[in-house]
Amino acid sequence: MRLTSDFVFSPAQRSLICAVSVLVPAAQRDDWRREWLGELWHVRHSLVSIDETLSFDAQREIASFCLGALPDALCLRRQSTPSSAPPVHVHGSAGQTLLWLSAAVAICAIIARLLPGVEAENQAARSLIKPNVLLISEAVSDSAHPEISMKLIRNWQRTRQRFFQEMAFYRISHETAMTANPVRWNVAHASANLFALLGVPILFVEPVDGTAADLTPAVLSHDTWMRDFASDPHIAGRIVRTASRKVRIAGVAPAVGWQLPGAPDVWLLESERELAADTPAGASGYLFAQLSGRGEAAMLSADATISARDAADMAIDLYGAPILAPVEGPWNLYEFALFLALVALPAVTSVSLGESQVSSHRPSAKQRMWRFLFLAGKFALVAALGLYGSLDVAYFSFSGYSPFAELLQLFACFVICLMGFRWAIADQRQRCPMCLRRVTNPATVGLASRTFLGWNGTELICMGGHALLHVPSLPTSWFGGQRWLYLDSSWEFLFGDSYVY
Amino acid sequence: MPRMATEAKLSHTAAMILQAISAGFVYGFSIMEMTGLPSGTVYPAMRRLERDDLIRSQWERQSIADAEQRPPRKYYKLTTTGKNTLEASRKRYPLLDRLIPTEEARSV
Repeated sequence: MRLTSDFVFSPAQRSLICAVSVLVPAAQRDDWRREWLGELWHVRHSLVSIDETLSFDAQREIASFCLGALPDALCLRRQSTPSSAPPVHVHGSAGQTLLWLSAAVAICAIIARLLPGVEAENQAARSLIKPNVLLISEAVSDSAHPEISMKLIRNWQRTRQRFFQEMAFYRISHETAMTANPVRWNVAHASANLFALLGVPILFVEPVDGTAADLTPAVLSHDTWMRDFASDPHIAGRIVRTASRKVRIAGVAPAVGWQLPGAPDVWLLESERELAADTPAGASGYLFAQLSGRGEAAMLSADATISARDAADMAIDLYGAPILAPVEGPWNLYEFALFLALVALPAVTSVSLGESQVSSHRPSAKQRMWRFLFLAGKFALVAALGLYGSLDVAYFSFSGYSPFAELLQLFACFVICLMGFRWAIADQRQRCPMCLRRVTNPATVGLASRTFLGWNGTELICMGGHALLHVPSLPTSWFGGQRWLYLDSSWEFLFGDSYVY
Repeated sequence: MPRMATEAKLSHTAAMILQAISAGFVYGFSIMEMTGLPSGTVYPAMRRLERDDLIRSQWERQSIADAEQRPPRKYYKLTTTGKNTLEASRKRYPLLDRLIPTEEARSV
């Protein structure tokens, strides 16, 4: 054995055995190591060539022999532990499948919980503006820019209202605010009752005391809060200087800012007196009016044309439109995608579970119930995976609400559910009806050229020895789908049990 | 305490190993060579067979090994339980005798 490289291989092989011997219980270790090193000597001796060298093939064979020491050591270790129960066959079992699916669902759910975009969409879906709030504009104006002049608002507000119970207003000005850095904001000078009228809650509100209570409260938009304040949950109470004054941050608006016109970054909730003082002549803004019960009853269509009279008894033509909320919310999108996937399922796979059998033996009612529950469990977990997986896909690159993310979520959910259900049915067809283990060891049976003389296809076997599955490669009128052949107890000796090794 | 009863079933692999020992291949490497099974299968199977009292092991005397200038071997032999179990396995696997003929069969 004079191969130069053997000076490397030989110590490596001996070291491997010595290292693995650590796994063997101490009482048997010396004996085990002695046996393996002795056997290694014999293996090497048997592979030595005439010129007393070891080829690389021989070295590979010796290495393969040495690697066998690991399962042997583990076997002894298992034997030495008190609970050396026979191993349970879990590979391909129903429990293992459900465990893997549950783990995937749990991981996706955790990721979805951590993504800020998912929370933003949930908020957007929860914080929809009240349906009886109309955005008022002049009938002659462009509805894409529904601004209304302050003078008109004042005139109309002074008249007696029959169909509207409350109004709120804001106008936009562009101002530089001093946060950590100077930032340019769209500042909305708004009525103090704006958020109450819209029915939108303000987040992170905290009680105010001291001199800060005298400052004008400001509500940040969700985007501004994330962009300029790093999503700080303790933002309430902080003082920020805008172009005109110091303001106190009262809270954060949920991710509904996109529903309101003018794309405000912050709303300053001002009293009527402040609004009147600050609003320049000829200014215009956005007016929101809440319908009274009478107004709702009188409103025949989604939009309303309002013929009002001002204080001087002059006719004013106004136009009121509800603030449409195209946000569907993750749950609505999910339900729709799930419905679509279930409808499309028969188009991508046969929904038959291949329950036909060639023998008279049938699984018991209990076994059939477990089989059904297993299928239902897989469907439920795939559906949950569709919900969380699609949220992960959609909001992985979006930190806030986005219509595109909603579209992506819908598509991803549809694909995950459709493919998942397809897999669940295909998997179910290859599960032994008795023990729910996957059938294995596919064997080709018959010849395609003899289709009319006998069936040809694939035969799979349940490792529990319960059944054979026959799947025809070419469906015929007399063998159109897969069939189960149940095996009686006389076949048991062929299959593994707890004492077979 | 042995876990296996006399009539317990053996896998084909375990039956082959018992048959090889019965046929005179009495140490690990010779069993590997005879059965064609890898070391990672043969040795763990022999541990379990020994645990269940189907085989018994014994170290070769050092003087014999020294005389032949090699390390001593650990020899295995069948116990009475092992012989009975092997007999039952031969009925189950009729080709076992042809795969690994015993010394008597070889001499015929």
